[in-house]
Amino acid sequence: MQQSVLIRNNVNITGDGKEVILFAHGFGCDQNAWQFVVDAFIDDYKVILFDYTGSGQSDINQYISAKYSTLDGYVQDVLEICEALDLRDVIFIGHSVSSMIGVLAANLKPEYFSKLVLVGPSARYLNDGDYIGGFEKDDLENLFEFMDSNYLGWSSTMAPAIMGNADRPALGGFLTESFCSTDPKVARDFARVTFFSDNRADLSKLKIPSLTLQCAEDIIAPNSVGKYVHQHAPGNEIVMLNATGHCPHISEPEETIRAIKAFIN
Amino acid sequence: MLNWLGYTELNLLDSRFSTLLPKGGQMHFEMFFFPMLKVDGIVKELSYDILRKDKTPLSVLLNANTILDQNGNIRAINVVVTDVTERRNYEKELLKAKNLAENEQKRLEFMADLAPEMIWTASSTGRISYVNARFCRYFDCEEKETRTLFVLSKVHKEDLKHLLRSWYKSQSTGMELNETIRLINRDGNYEWHRVKAALFVEKNGDQTNWFGSCTNVEEHVRQLKKKDDFINIASHELKTPITSLKAVLQLMQRMKAETSERMSGLIDKANHSVSRVTEMVDDLLNASQMNEGQLKLNKKIFNVFDMIGACVHHLRLENNYQISTIGDENICVTADEGRIEQVVNNFITNAIKYAPQSQLITINVVAIPGFVRVEVIDKGDGIQPDKIPYLFDRYYQVNSAGSKYSGLGLGLFICAEIIRQHGGQIGAESKINEGSLFWFTLPL
Repeated sequence: MQQSVLIRNNVNITGDGKEVILFAHGFGCDQNAWQFVVDAFIDDYKVILFDYTGSGQSDINQYISAKYSTLDGYVQDVLEICEALDLRDVIFIGHSVSSMIGVLAANLKPEYFSKLVLVGPSARYLNDGDYIGGFEKDDLENLFEFMDSNYLGWSSTMAPAIMGNADRPALGGFLTESFCSTDPKVARDFARVTFFSDNRADLSKLKIPSLTLQCAEDIIAPNSVGKYVHQHAPGNEIVMLNATGHCPHISEPEETIRAIKAFIN
Repeated sequence: MLNWLGYTELNLLDSRFSTLLPKGGQMHFEMFFFPMLKVDGIVKELSYDILRKDKTPLSVLLNANTILDQNGNIRAINVVVTDVTERRNYEKELLKAKNLAENEQKRLEFMADLAPEMIWTASSTGRISYVNARFCRYFDCEEKETRTLFVLSKVHKEDLKHLLRSWYKSQSTGMELNETIRLINRDGNYEWHRVKAALFVEKNGDQTNWFGSCTNVEEHVRQLKKKDDFINIASHELKTPITSLKAVLQLMQRMKAETSERMSGLIDKANHSVSRVTEMVDDLLNASQMNEGQLKLNKKIFNVFDMIGACVHHLRLENNYQISTIGDENICVTADEGRIEQVVNNFITNAIKYAPQSQLITINVVAIPGFVRVEVIDKGDGIQPDKIPYLFDRYYQVNSAGSKYSGLGLGLFICAEIIRQHGGQIGAESKINEGSLFWFTLPL
């Protein structure tokens, strides 16, 4: 069981410290997204990286559509990794959708976690009455279309995608070379799970301290949703970064590292 | 680029590239393009729509790579934008066609799952390519497990050889497969199934697939068996009191000198009826025995002509018909004499019963290569040609509606079974208003 979870989720462990940091990647890419920040922590912490089932170098054969049709399946991944490695008091750093996966995991097993760092979190992406998530349903359909057309891709990659087994189309070469390569079906499922989930009610149940890192000009998680998380998660601190976009750990790793260290030390 | 988009240089300088994309594209850019560029240093062939100044979309492919300074920081990003409007339209059509095909497949699978039969498809070489939900439920398996060997392991071993032979025959001839076999279910019990398979040739003709179904006929077979059991029991039950009645009548017959003539006539009639009932019950017994393959043949060598002679002699006593036996007097066969006598008897009594106006019944014994052929010929009304193929079926009577003839419709069925078990053939020919010819052959 233990070993199989570590293989399934391509778990990598580095660092010399005792305290554990668990980095959880967001939708779209894999653990390599953390490569610009990891080095800053390995002297003082034990750093654990992993890929969600279906992403990166995880074991795609263990991707079960039904299990991962809600965020709970991904929450299970996180909890099972903690159990397999017998982790307690973990500092969980989650990007984007992983922020909410972290919140859900911490609500289920608070004893596993000491602190949560939420990088560009959103409890709900869709607008809903007075709540401004930043997106209408059409925007998301537009995104899914972009994803589909990019997996369909260019003529060289189109043929296998269309002619191949509908369940497992051959990945276009341009994406397999990238750290963002994901099975198109998994990516499509994961995108829907991510962008259609509503975790607003889960924020208030959080019992451990957390930090929201809010980027400037983040189209995916705009200021309003970061502030919503900050206001509704008890014990949440918020830092407004100068970094723009949705991936401060990639675009401005130094600033991101400083903010994380200030919170966890 | 400016021409494509309708902007001037001033419009675009100092603004972020992603602002030129629609919202979904901006999200994709943030989640894929940017991280890939930063981490991998290169982005190949990502497809986007850029919004022109007039807000109409321009389909493009983006290729980008980073140019780093000495410290490894990004100094510049080199982007190549390719207009792929034409290709995008083509892709959209393909995507539409693909979705259409997928939907069509889903519809068919939905229908296949709804059907009460197990349904499957296989390649021309017999590799199973699809099975429906009922198939998986019956065998308690996943669709991907259902390789050909898996399925063959589910067939009752007594039926396997037969099935494989038919399967090879169908494969080599392209003819439909039709077999009734036993398949083991998820609980480990065998159930009878009717297996059908037919070759489907695709429109262009170069691809063929087998489409097959397995219908569970266990209940049907069980009911048939039940019925046979019933007949078996009923005939035994009937026979017992009749036997004792017969004994009593025989006793009375011995005493009939002591009673009136009228009494004697009654007793004769009663005796006749009892014989008739006995015949029918014997037929029922024979039929149920044959159904279970329990017919025991006591074979010995006898002369066919002599056997027929004895038969005819016995019948002549009861009827005023002219029966003439002609043909080869010297043919001997190894067979169950009693059973063959039964067949000849049946042919003759049928001729008497169904062709009463025919005064002459001819029995012809001829040798044909490897066989003796016995023919019973009458000059009666003849039989409708469309009815001839069914004459030897169980429970079949030529004039079933409002029939003036008694009987169970088992006689010829029993005859056919007897001859079949001897390795011979049986048949009938007839012409309306000219008469009928019933024949059988026995191996020499």
